[in-house]
This record gives sequence, structure tokens and C-alpha cells, in this order.
Amino acid sequence: MATTEPDVDWHGDDSSVNHLRGRAFEATCLAATAFGLVSVLLLLLFVANDAFRPLSADGGWLLTYAATVLAPLAALAVYYYRLDEPAGEVAYVTSGLPVVGVLLTGGFAVMFIELLSILEWFALVTSLVAAGGLIVAHGRLRPNAALERLVVLFGAPVVTVLGTPPAQFNWLVTDLAAALGVDFGLYHRVISLREVLLRLPYVPTNWLLLLGTLVAPLAVAGGVFIARRRDSRRAGFAVVGATLVGALAGLVTGPALGIGYGGWMLLVAFVALPVGIYVEGVVRRREGVRGLAFPVIAVLGVAVGSVVVDAAGFAGPDSWLDWGFLTSATSRTAADAGIYPAMVGSIMMIIVIVLATFPVGVGAAIYLEEYAPSEGPMGKFVTLVEINIGNLAGVPSVVYGLLGLALFIRIVQWPQGSIVVAGLAVGLLILPIVIISAQEAIRSVPDSFRQASYGMGATRWQTIRQVVLPEALPGILTGTILALGRAIGETAPLLMIGAAASVRLAPNGFFDVASMMPRQIYSWSSELEPAFRHGVLAAGVITLLAVLLVMNATAIVIRNRYQRE
Amino acid sequence: MTQNEMTSDDSTDSTAAGTTSTPDPSGEPLVDQSIEVDSTDGGAQTGREQVIEARDLDVFYGDVQALQGITMSIPENQVTAMIGPSGCGKSTFLRCINRMNDLIDAARVEGELHFEGKNIYDDDVDPVALRRRIGMVFQHPNPFPKSIYDNVAYGLRIQDETENLDEKVETALKRAALWDEVEDQLDKSALDLSGGQQQRLCIARAIAVDPDVILMDEPASALDPIATSKIEDLIEELAEEFTVVIVTHNMQQAARISDKTAVFLTGGELVEFGDTQSIFENPEHQRVEDYITGKFG
Repeated sequence: MATTEPDVDWHGDDSSVNHLRGRAFEATCLAATAFGLVSVLLLLLFVANDAFRPLSADGGWLLTYAATVLAPLAALAVYYYRLDEPAGEVAYVTSGLPVVGVLLTGGFAVMFIELLSILEWFALVTSLVAAGGLIVAHGRLRPNAALERLVVLFGAPVVTVLGTPPAQFNWLVTDLAAALGVDFGLYHRVISLREVLLRLPYVPTNWLLLLGTLVAPLAVAGGVFIARRRDSRRAGFAVVGATLVGALAGLVTGPALGIGYGGWMLLVAFVALPVGIYVEGVVRRREGVRGLAFPVIAVLGVAVGSVVVDAAGFAGPDSWLDWGFLTSATSRTAADAGIYPAMVGSIMMIIVIVLATFPVGVGAAIYLEEYAPSEGPMGKFVTLVEINIGNLAGVPSVVYGLLGLALFIRIVQWPQGSIVVAGLAVGLLILPIVIISAQEAIRSVPDSFRQASYGMGATRWQTIRQVVLPEALPGILTGTILALGRAIGETAPLLMIGAAASVRLAPNGFFDVASMMPRQIYSWSSELEPAFRHGVLAAGVITLLAVLLVMNATAIVIRNRYQRE
Repeated sequence: MTQNEMTSDDSTDSTAAGTTSTPDPSGEPLVDQSIEVDSTDGGAQTGREQVIEARDLDVFYGDVQALQGITMSIPENQVTAMIGPSGCGKSTFLRCINRMNDLIDAARVEGELHFEGKNIYDDDVDPVALRRRIGMVFQHPNPFPKSIYDNVAYGLRIQDETENLDEKVETALKRAALWDEVEDQLDKSALDLSGGQQQRLCIARAIAVDPDVILMDEPASALDPIATSKIEDLIEELAEEFTVVIVTHNMQQAARISDKTAVFLTGGELVEFGDTQSIFENPEHQRVEDYITGKFG
């Protein structure tokens, strides 16, 4: 209880405690972090500068857009950050949703142009729905017939989508039967519902098919969402009606705008519908309404800026990365070169990778986590397998390229450099990563859920199906998407399996020889003309990075969405 | 330790058995005194049917023996409590009854454990079928991250008993004394409920499939005193229809709600088993008395 300053010597200002080494260590760590970040940032800025060449624009052009777009948006952003955070969130979503919607539209547009006609899409969707309907109907009618359900599960898609096996398989069966001395053959293959639809003599026009198979289901989904949220069937019907009317308006307005009715309908379904639903919610809740100003001012700013630039005659930057680059094939002249076929090739390769690695990877992860023994000699073997999956994740990609070359081209004899070979080779490369991340996700499901389920008398299958997988799915998806991000940038396997150095036409099927973005970028890097090596290459890199960024953002959005719940 | 909060206003002596909310006036015996109690060997010959009978049951985790030669019988439609210090094997024994120990690779069970006359460790017993008859409620409330409705319906759905599902879910929630609180939010996530409500939901989930026995592993130890007393009331009601076996750290809880008490002590041995009242008032073994009076454990 002494009130005077006591005479003690423990407080350390005689430097009996030495902080010097700690501070030095902290400073070193900071320097390492800063060095890494700054050098990557500089590199990206350098590449972006090469790709966009902003300094090639007139000073007036830059000033105009800085004044009409950048300045107001920056001011708004500061305002949201300081004073109105909900509005900031609204601004973020209303700016991001249209971008995602436009990207989706672009994806579907490319699909309809390059991969399958609208009729084929219609046939595929209808038969998939029919297959799903058959499976669900069987589940309802005979809920206890588990084995039967398995047959239906695999049989329904065969009947509706695939048809009986193709001719080669039938010959195999016939030959085999003949070798065994049996006269048996599947001389006529049974065609599937999908093929029946494709052969219909009269089919509705394309716009009706598009409306029915893409716009209408999305409109109904949006309508159901709104009807639930507002507890009003009328509101739901209003959404469906407005979407359909908006889409039909495209028959007139689409061609007038030069994007065709298809483009308009896709935009209505992927951009107008979600944005409309979101904005309606914001306005009704009256929370963060000011955030809606952000996209409006962005659009207005661009419009005003372009008017001013036109009137004053300022020239814009001579950017390498422009609409032409994204929509045209590579060329001998740098100015005409584009990345479109390689982009389509990359997207198709990703489809192959997803179809090949997701089921295999997730299946392996489920087995290793839920079924494999953890004790005894078998447990040790499983541990060995798991360690080696980790090792496989570290094997150089060029080795996987070699494996793909040997396996799919030399042995299976698929065409060299085709999309399916590229997809499978790169798929093998990311398979360990998918397995490991799916294992992590499954392991993170609390054991108490499994205990609860087993305690209820659930079988292992029921527990996995109803409790573990639904809980682990967001984590599995996140990990898989991040792995796909790695896959899309892999170059060495593509070189090994002989992906095309440059193609002028986008691939039409999965067995076509194609180029992919990293392969295309690599071949630009060895062009003689400097414009290729500096400009076109940089534009390609930025495109690739943008695709990667979108994929990683998707992964993050999925993760955050489910973490919040 | 939240369960200790419960003890603060209760006397800690043996009359605690009389201070519960049972209709019996205090002083009257809680259980039928005519039942002859035969402790330690566990073959309590009560007039009631013995649903579960352990015969010389040993459990090992790897090289460690967790239970040593347990022999006891658990009577039908009564609450049997198992008390003892941490690590004495009472939870292990509970998990033997519905073969949850099968899920632990290192666990090994020797001896016999009969459920309705059938040794559940026979080769022809499917633990899944057994668990459909013997439900379980865990220490920490563990509802699935699904809606309240789906949680209760889970057991019915996995057993393909989906007729009159709404009705069965409602009945189960009513029996678990939760219906009034969740009636109009059945489609809300079960994780939004409070801890006590979650635990009652887990009880509803367990009784929805109408098992014969309900095992409870310290069901109230993670709950506050009010939620605990609701769970205790519920357990007493459940004993009218189900055989309840409950593991608890809380001796007052055991004294309040149980008809029979088994005392496990360190080393995995069952030291004394008999009517709750006689265990708490007049234990035969000195070690049990020491434990109950708080001299150790």
C-alpha cells in the first residue's frame, strides 16, 4: 500500500531484458514479405502495362476518363467505406453480379457457337431431365428397392442420353460371342431419347428452344426464390413473367443491338434476372440503397467519357488486349493475333478434367477417410498410400506429360494433342491435389455428426451420403476449383502430349487437336517479331490470369457462403 | 464444470435423493424397497425384466484395459445411472451397449453382453440393427446441420419409415418437451437453437424411431442449470416408456433421477451396483462411500 515510488529493479529499463534479436527477426520477416509481394506486384504491373499500353493514349483521353469514371467512383468508394458500409456491400454485389453474369453469358455463347447447336443442347437437357425424372419417380414408387434403384440410376441415363453402346462395342460383343461359338449379336443399337429428339422432323425454332431449356428454368428458379422470400406466389409469378417477357423482347431488340436474340436471352437470364432480384431486395429492405449509385455512375461515367473523347478527338490506348484479341485466332501479324481458339480449348480441357478427376478424386478421398482401416498392417499400408499421394502432388508436371503421352497416345491411341488427352494428362497431375483437399474437407466434418448418425442406426453408406458429404461438399468444391486453377495454367504436359502450337479454328469436339492458353502463350514467346513477345504475349498472360482469378474468386465465394451458415 | 452449479443449493448428503421433483414426499423411499439388492455381482433379481445383461465384460483399448469383468443387469423401464470419476470406464461401458466402440479400431471387447437375451457380440448381430433398438444421446448436443424437422426425421428416413412422417416428428418433439418451443420454426436450422434445446432435439431424434433403450452419455454436462433441470425432468418421463441408461459425473443428478446406480471406480471396475437410495445412503464399500462423500474423485 505504499504510495511512494518503490525502489525495485525488476521493470527492466536497465536493459536486463534484451529485445534486440526479436526485433531484428521481426524486421527480417517483414522485409521478406515485402520483397515477395512487391516483386510479384511489379511483375504484374509490367505485364499489364505491356498488355494494355495505357500510356499510348492521348493525355486528354486519360484525363477525361479519370475525371468521368475514376474520380467519382473513388469518391463513392471512400464515402461507402467511411460512412455507409451496407451501401458498400450493395455496390460490391451490384457491380460484381453483372460481371459474373456476362462471363457466364460468354461461356454459354461460346458453347453454342463452338460445341453444340441449340437443338443438341435442348436434346441433352431434355433427356437429362427425363433421366432424373425416371430416377426420382422410381424412388417415390418403390422406395425400398435399393438394388433396383441402382439399376435405374445407371440405366436411366443410358436409355435417355447415351443409347445402347456404340457400334464398336457391339462388334466386340458379337466377335466374342462368335469366338465362344454362340450366335449372338447386337446388330442394331437402340437409340436414346436424346437421339430421337435430334432426329425429329419438326422441331421448334431455336429461340423457343432456348427460351424453354435455359431462360424458363432460370426464371422459374428465380420466381420460386422470390415467392419463398416474400411469401407471395404473385411476386414469384411476376418474376417469371417479367423474365420471359424480357427475354422475348430480345427477338426484336437483340438483332437491333447486333448481339442477336440468343445473346439477348442469355443476358436476360444470367444478368438481368439475378441483378433484378438482388436490387429488388435492396430497395425493399431500404438498406444500403445508396450503393446502387456505384454501378449507375460507372455506366454514366463511361458514357459521358466516350462522348467527350469522341467530341474532342482524343485517341484511346493502342491496347493489345481488346475485344479483337479475345475473339479472333492467332495470326502471323501481331496486330491481328487473338487467343479465342486457345481459350475454347482451355475451357473444353477443363470440362474433361472436371469430369475425370472430380469423381475419381472425391471417391478416393471418401474411401481413404471413411472406409480404409487405420489400424494393423492394412492401416500401415493405407498410411503408405496416403504419404505417396502427397508425394505424387509434388511430381514435376513434365513427368505427368510423359505419362499422358505414353498412356493415352501410345497405348490407347487417341489423337496426339487432342483435348481429351490434354485433359486426362493434366487431370492426372491435379488428381493428388484434389484427393488431398477432399480428404481435408471430409476430415473437417466433426466426428460428433458421424457418431450421432451411427448412434441412430445409420449404415456407413447412409452416414456418408446424408451427413458427411453434404457437410464436406463446400470444402471439396473449394479445393477442386483451386486445383483446376492450377490445371488451367499447366504448360509442360501440353508440350509433351503435343498440343497444337497455334490453331486458327476453335475445336468442335473433344477428340479435336487444339491449343490451350498456356501452350499458345508459350508459342508466342518464341516468335521472332518483338510485338508478339512483348504485346501479344502480355495480353495472353493477362487473359489467363483473369480466368484464374475468376476461378479462385468462385472458390472463395463458395467457401464464404457456406462458412457463414 | 457446469454440473457443479446444480449442486450448490442441494444438500450433498444422501437425502438429496428425496429433494427431487418426484411426486413422492421426501422421506418416502423412491424405489420399491421390496426389491432385493445384490450388489457387486450385479445379478440384481428385481421383479422386472432385465433388458441388458453384461457377463464378465472386458474392454481393451490397444493394450490398456478399460473395463474389468463387468457383470450387471439393467432393468426395463427404469433409469439406471452410472457414476464414477473420469476415466473409470463408465462411458466405455455405455458405448458397449450399442456397440459404438466398434467404430474405434483399437477397441476390443471380450465377454458377453446380452440384449433381450441375445449376446450382441455374436457374429450374426448387425450393429446397425442393434443401434436401431438402442438409441443414444451424447455429452455435447450434436444435432445435424439440417433443419429441426430433418433432424428428427433422420432416423425415420434412414429406416425407411416415412409414412406419417409429420405426425411422428411432432410426437417425438412433444415427448421431448420441445414442440411448444419449435412448433413454428421446424424448417429453421437446428444449430440456431440454444444448447438445452439442441440436447432435447437430440433426445427427440433418438426417441423418434421408438427404440427400446436410450443411452445417455452425460447429457446435461454441457448445459446450464435450467436446461439441465429440463433434461432431468424429461429423463424421468421417458423412463415410463423406455429403459434409460445414463452416465453422469454429477452424483446429485444420479441421486435425483435414477432408480438404480452403478458406481465405477478407477481401473474400470464396477464396485457397487444397486438401488440408488441404498447406494447413496448406505453403501457397502468404503471406497464407494469415500467417493460419494467427496473424499476422493
